[in-house]
Amino acid sequence: MDVIAPEIVAGLFLGAFFGLVAVGYSMVYGVLRLINFAHGDFYMVSAYVSYTLLLTFGVAGTANWGNFLIVGLATMVVGGLLAVAVERVVYRPMRSAATLSLMIAALGVSLVLENGVLNIPIWGSAYRAYPVTPPNAGFELLGVHLAWVQLLIIGVSLVLTGLVYWIVNRTLLGTAMRAVSQDRAAAALMGIEIDRIISIVFFIGGALAGAAAVMASLYYGQISYLMGFYVGLQAFTAAVLGGIGNVLGAAVGGFLLGILEAVGTGLLGPQWALLFAFSVLVLTLWVRPTGLLGERVGQRV
Amino acid sequence: MQTRRMATWASVLVPIVALVSACSSTPAASQGTAAPTTAPTAGTYLVGVPIPQTGSEAQSGTTIFNGIKLATDQINAAGGVLGQKIVLSAQDDACDPQTSTNAANKLVSLGVQAVVGAYCSSAALPAIPIYERAGIPNLQPSANSTKLTAVGAKNLFLLDPTGNFQADLAAKFFVNVLKATKVLIANDQSTYSVDVAKLAGDAITAAGGTVLPIQAVPNTAQDFSAVITTIRSSGADAIYWTGYYAQAALFVRQLRGAGLTIPFVTADGSVDPTFITNAGAGNAEGAYGTIATTTQFLTGSDAAKFVADYKAAFSADPGPYSAYGYDAMMALVGAAKAANSLDPAKVITALHSLKIDGLTGSVSFAADGSRQGAKFVVLKVVNGAYQMAPTQP
Repeated sequence: MDVIAPEIVAGLFLGAFFGLVAVGYSMVYGVLRLINFAHGDFYMVSAYVSYTLLLTFGVAGTANWGNFLIVGLATMVVGGLLAVAVERVVYRPMRSAATLSLMIAALGVSLVLENGVLNIPIWGSAYRAYPVTPPNAGFELLGVHLAWVQLLIIGVSLVLTGLVYWIVNRTLLGTAMRAVSQDRAAAALMGIEIDRIISIVFFIGGALAGAAAVMASLYYGQISYLMGFYVGLQAFTAAVLGGIGNVLGAAVGGFLLGILEAVGTGLLGPQWALLFAFSVLVLTLWVRPTGLLGERVGQRV
Repeated sequence: MQTRRMATWASVLVPIVALVSACSSTPAASQGTAAPTTAPTAGTYLVGVPIPQTGSEAQSGTTIFNGIKLATDQINAAGGVLGQKIVLSAQDDACDPQTSTNAANKLVSLGVQAVVGAYCSSAALPAIPIYERAGIPNLQPSANSTKLTAVGAKNLFLLDPTGNFQADLAAKFFVNVLKATKVLIANDQSTYSVDVAKLAGDAITAAGGTVLPIQAVPNTAQDFSAVITTIRSSGADAIYWTGYYAQAALFVRQLRGAGLTIPFVTADGSVDPTFITNAGAGNAEGAYGTIATTTQFLTGSDAAKFVADYKAAFSADPGPYSAYGYDAMMALVGAAKAANSLDPAKVITALHSLKIDGLTGSVSFAADGSRQGAKFVVLKVVNGAYQMAPTQP
């Protein structure tokens, strides 16, 4: 227990990121039945955009939190717009195509974004240091040092996830989203504008990825053009673990995956962490194929 | 509908294509232009340069390429080698075994007469048999895993002293200078890193220290909090990181953020100014690094001239291995002159008996191709820059 308790605390923080990005993945899958592999790269591009914005507007050090907040919000908007643009240009014309074709297109977008960033001279191949450094002050919890910044990040993630959950489950817009994900044709017949709803879903997903990107860059202090690939993969796993298509499931899956990886590292060493986490995933899917909080696939009579 | 779709595609693709081609046709000075890849024409000596141009080590690839290019330009300005101008052909190996194999095959098919390059041991390793079959000299400026020499290729020459020297130095440093009782060693699962980690672990144990189970961190990992928790609970009082600088920056930042002040030592793969900047806010201050003598600590007027020439040519400071790239090209040319021939087999024979004075010390090779005449030192980060550590083991 000595080893596990601190790892759980460490894993909570990691899980906050995964959860935020996983919610975006889940929502897009919900409305389009598409695994958007480019989602991790929306995260990456948002990180670079925030990096450039911070450099341009001269925000340095830890003093200027007001400006940083504005840059963060701006990055969320940029992330959302990027997602909407990709949907409009790549996915919309392919809406009636086979799911496999859509997935390949998503992979293509991912490669385009990664190599695009690689070839832009001011961004390029070097790992960039993030201009803003958060203060280290914090407190001890169960043998782990938790900085106030980390708590803030976990808090912001929970608030954003809660906001999305509220939109999806308590507003008319959310009802429309759920209708589109349940049966697109019938929703169209009911007068719901499919195109608009899908664009809004992509915007929300992209904005969440943008928020996660700013927070990750702030904490880890380093961005690279490949940072989205690994995070995207883990977020996808988290979404599947929690039940894909389900906002709450994605958040739960994210935290669970973070904790599993941290505990796996503590028990077996970092080289076994992913194996441990994915074994739990496989076991979970074996017992509950739609994920922990996934809706049971109904029987058509 | 069709025309609208075409118009949307065109309006998006045309600017993207224009932007990408514009960007790639104006290489920034600090990125180092790769020479066009051509088949050998009469009157030129085609030398292949496999280096990482993409991926996490792209920055290091550029600094090594620039070192090689500086030597090449100086030799060509003095008339070339045996009357032939040297032409460089760079190929991306992305510090990845698969990409490196493709790059090696490509270079061989282009008919290169020698290879100077690769940065990472993991990329150099699978390419060794390819260059051996082609019978051309294979000079490595920085890759130094003992696994490379273990292959037994007769055409392999390493400019960077092999990992066992580094491990011995690290062991002496940890046990005698830092007086560490429990050392935690972490690698990033790459060939070079695993090699140094294992050798260092054995050396430290032999020198009387205790080594905790080696932690293998995936090289894409950003979060080290779980490893740091292990460090805390195990009571380690020193850390040896044998991976590369990007992760080293993340590691030390999170380590210091967690309030741990134990000494953080890196192997040569992490000794780079980027480690210091990316760790942020003085987190790298006081960190140590074991490395074969790097450019700024070279003594002698040749070294100062090299640094000045490099700055003039590339508007940037040389990287830790730029001088090794330079020495590698000089060694190749020296061997060709000694053999009085550009024939690959004769150059290989001449390389085995070569002894010249390079920037990094006396350059000569043991029978298995490993470097003799250079030594490892311990550096320390003081006031945001690397200096020689005050107490050398």
